[in-house]
Amino acid sequence: MVGLVVVSHSRALARAAVTLAAEMAAGARIEIAAGLDETTLGTDATAIVDALVAADDGDGVVVLMDLGSAVLSAELALELIDDDLRSRVLLCPAPLVEGLVAAAVTAASGAGRDEVAREATEGLLGKLSQLSPAPVPEDSGAAMATVTVENPHGLHARPAARLVTEARRLDAGLEVRNRTTGSPWVPATSLSRVATLGALRGHEIDVRASGPGARAAVDEIVAVAARRFDETPPELDKISEWGGSVPVDLDLIEGNTTDTGVRRGQGASAGIGIGPAWRRSNTPPPVPDVPSRGTEVEWRRVEDAVAAVRLEIDKIWAGSQEAGIFDAHLLLLDDAELLGEVRQRIEDGQAAPQAFQGAAARIAAEFDTLEDPYLRGRGDDVHAVSDQVLRAMLGISGAAATGDGILVAADLTPAEAATLDPERVLGVLLAFGSPTSHGAILARTRGIPMVVGAGPAVLSVPHGATVVLDGTTGEFAIAPPESVAAAFRDRAAERSTRTNRAATRAGQPAVTADGVTVLVAANVGSVADARAAAAHGADLAGLVRTEFLFLDRDAAPSIDEQIAVYREIGEALGGRRITLRTLDVGGDKPLRYAPAPAERNPFLGVRGIRRSLAYPGLFADQLVAIARVARDMPVSVMFPMVSTVAEVIAARRMLDEAIGRAGHAEGLRVGIMIEVPAAALRSAAFTPYIDFVSVGTNDLTQYTLAAERGNAALSADGLDPAVLRLIQLVGTQAGVPVAVCGELAADEAAVPLLTALGVRELSVAPPAVPLVKEAVRGIRLELAGPLAEQACGLADANAVRALLKPGNVHSGR
Amino acid sequence: MADTVGTEALHAWIREFARLIAEHKDLLTELDSAIGDADHGVNLHRGMSAVVEVLAKETPGRPGELLKRTGMTLVSTVGGASGPLYGTAFLRMSAIAGDAETLDGADLARVLRAALDGVVARGKAQAGDKTMYDALAPAVESLEESIAAGQPLGEALDGALRAAEQGRAATIAMVARKGRASYLGERSAGHQDPGATSVTLLVAAAAAALA
Repeated sequence: MVGLVVVSHSRALARAAVTLAAEMAAGARIEIAAGLDETTLGTDATAIVDALVAADDGDGVVVLMDLGSAVLSAELALELIDDDLRSRVLLCPAPLVEGLVAAAVTAASGAGRDEVAREATEGLLGKLSQLSPAPVPEDSGAAMATVTVENPHGLHARPAARLVTEARRLDAGLEVRNRTTGSPWVPATSLSRVATLGALRGHEIDVRASGPGARAAVDEIVAVAARRFDETPPELDKISEWGGSVPVDLDLIEGNTTDTGVRRGQGASAGIGIGPAWRRSNTPPPVPDVPSRGTEVEWRRVEDAVAAVRLEIDKIWAGSQEAGIFDAHLLLLDDAELLGEVRQRIEDGQAAPQAFQGAAARIAAEFDTLEDPYLRGRGDDVHAVSDQVLRAMLGISGAAATGDGILVAADLTPAEAATLDPERVLGVLLAFGSPTSHGAILARTRGIPMVVGAGPAVLSVPHGATVVLDGTTGEFAIAPPESVAAAFRDRAAERSTRTNRAATRAGQPAVTADGVTVLVAANVGSVADARAAAAHGADLAGLVRTEFLFLDRDAAPSIDEQIAVYREIGEALGGRRITLRTLDVGGDKPLRYAPAPAERNPFLGVRGIRRSLAYPGLFADQLVAIARVARDMPVSVMFPMVSTVAEVIAARRMLDEAIGRAGHAEGLRVGIMIEVPAAALRSAAFTPYIDFVSVGTNDLTQYTLAAERGNAALSADGLDPAVLRLIQLVGTQAGVPVAVCGELAADEAAVPLLTALGVRELSVAPPAVPLVKEAVRGIRLELAGPLAEQACGLADANAVRALLKPGNVHSGR
Repeated sequence: MADTVGTEALHAWIREFARLIAEHKDLLTELDSAIGDADHGVNLHRGMSAVVEVLAKETPGRPGELLKRTGMTLVSTVGGASGPLYGTAFLRMSAIAGDAETLDGADLARVLRAALDGVVARGKAQAGDKTMYDALAPAVESLEESIAAGQPLGEALDGALRAAEQGRAATIAMVARKGRASYLGERSAGHQDPGATSVTLLVAAAAAALA
């Protein structure tokens, strides 16, 4: 008779399963190899060997296992037995309980080994047919779902890249099709194929996968789709950061003609552009007619060129906020569809440049057949990447030619935006595009004024015609009458006067019209930032994020290393005060040398001061380093994410010990960050222990509104009256100087309000220092005070923003 | 500094590994509690304690025998998946060592390559699956290269240890595709893999005891 062996982590479980099976088939011979002993869970390969030997009477053995190490140990046991016995043993993938019952019944009936195993494997069928009304599908293990595209531009470059990245990671043969248009299935791992779906907002996309991880993979894609493929929301709140100051009118007013010939698109990058129009020529690099030197040589040329372009993209954008924009390009460089066709063409005898150009052109042509103009524009991505690869392959240096004046185009790819020379390109006017597009973000970082959504009519602008545009208001005019051109010149002059005035006065203190000094400080995350802060006239470093010293390394920085870096930052700031924030990390930023247990929600977990107190060795070292530096230069120390007085007392006690080790430091000031509503509400309770507070408006906003800033579905605006009231409370009760070091401090519209609420230090990104100082100089507190009171009583952040229109709070220019 | 190792040195290696496991038991368990079933430290400690006891009672005469005894003890005492995985690794090492009295650098590289192959055969792990493979594979490759380049064994093992440490660090960002951690999917990223951590200790023990 065929013998059975039960392998389980638990001896009790194995015995119970055998009891169950024996009720059905008393005659079956069943051996157990389960648990390390009566109570210790585990599996033991040598015990399995013993069970196999005992169960075998020459007719063979079928092994049923629970999971994980049971399977591994059973496989190992097969290695440990002799060949003769091994030839008679069969490891059966059936579920343990159902399989054992079926196997016992079959074995007791005298069936052979294979039949026993087959019956065991089918032991699940009864339950399946009982529980699922439909018959078991023949491709069991397959999964499918339908998602709706909610992204405003459909599945365009960035969301599509997200889908492809995810699909590649999941590795479950994911395929997608556009149910709405009835497209064929395409592999979700190919960016070029996914883009050909022409998936617009509102389209339904079918997702399917096969194999063991199919369901989980499809669920994952459904989740990603529900998050709109992680596309960031329109980044209006970022515009102040980029240098604009007037909110962009979201409603596209295309070609809205007025009497003066001035029309209006959307402002996308602040500034005035005046100059002759030029169009770019889309000539790809000339490909010489040279025959193939053999498949391997030509293929290596492709690989080298692709690697070079990848390196180029990485080099330009590594670490920058804009890096993600090039994900689509990087994915194209890796696209199986594109490279597969290149390879095929090379094998058919083409040289590398011809093969790449041909394959790229074919794929770009597929985009050109799409209905949606935005998606059709994605063919430009393919062209751009193809041109870049061809240049690398042919050794043609330099980017695409750039003209002088105002670039007029349908749209601007990130690669093009990145290569525009701000010295020569005075502005960009786009027929399509949006202020949140990648090209627009890059134009802002490069300081090139840009208007988008100007309408297709602008594409017929004659070469050399004068174009004027205002990247703040979205206004533009083509070949304008002299009066209009003069008005734009005036605006440009006013803007440049304002920036120049801000720049020339950047080194002077910022004093309101009624004589209140507000320190304008810089947020610093590196020595380079500290130099930039000094260059932009920062009064001090209001926030030094020390994390850069601690992340991405295998061992904590030594005291000496910390001292050297803190000192370098202080020196870069030329003796101005530096505010060193102690390590501010949580479970979301693991430190290899101080691993923390996983947390369900790291943002409500052991982070900031809580974490420093939990790792006293690390904390003590940092405090000693800070105290030592404070002996030589003006230094403040600041504890992040404080919520209770006890935390501050504990931290101060450790600081006292550090000062004991480092020696007394006369000028050392101690402060806390107010980021948790609990700390804001009880700010007076902290007064005895601190010299200052700094409000971290980013986290305070998130914790107050229970809204994550990155979540597109939520509004987490620091001007929400609830946040303002907390700042007001801190301003009136803290009894020590109040600083703000969140993004709100750089929002020129918010500056008068914060000052009126009692804030006397604003810490912002270094380049923002001059304009924030100018904003302070325009404040009259007798006007701003009542306005702040009013703002605190309004309904929401939008109402506050409406209240803060220029002129309401400023004394005038 | 000897460039060949005998049973005694290998025995010292095993004892050092057991000591490191005991010392890092809590860390391993903590890492495993983040992404697994929190038994890695306890299981390996139980297994290696048993190995030390068995070998102390009667030290085998030849390297192959010592490695075999270690493997067999592990498979019957660890309990979790690391039992058959480490067990297979040591049994494969034993097969390569055969009847040799001593092993030189090239032998050791072959022995550890066999261990890696055993881990792959047993666990079906690939690079990037966030498993012990991701630390052991770079260590073996580094060892092979250093030995082939004529480096002394001590330096070669130090290099292997650095490679293992880098591989271990790289598991933090990985998403688990094997074992219980794979049920966590994306959430397994951000945590160092316990298997990669313990196998790095095995390499560290070799660098300490065999050089």
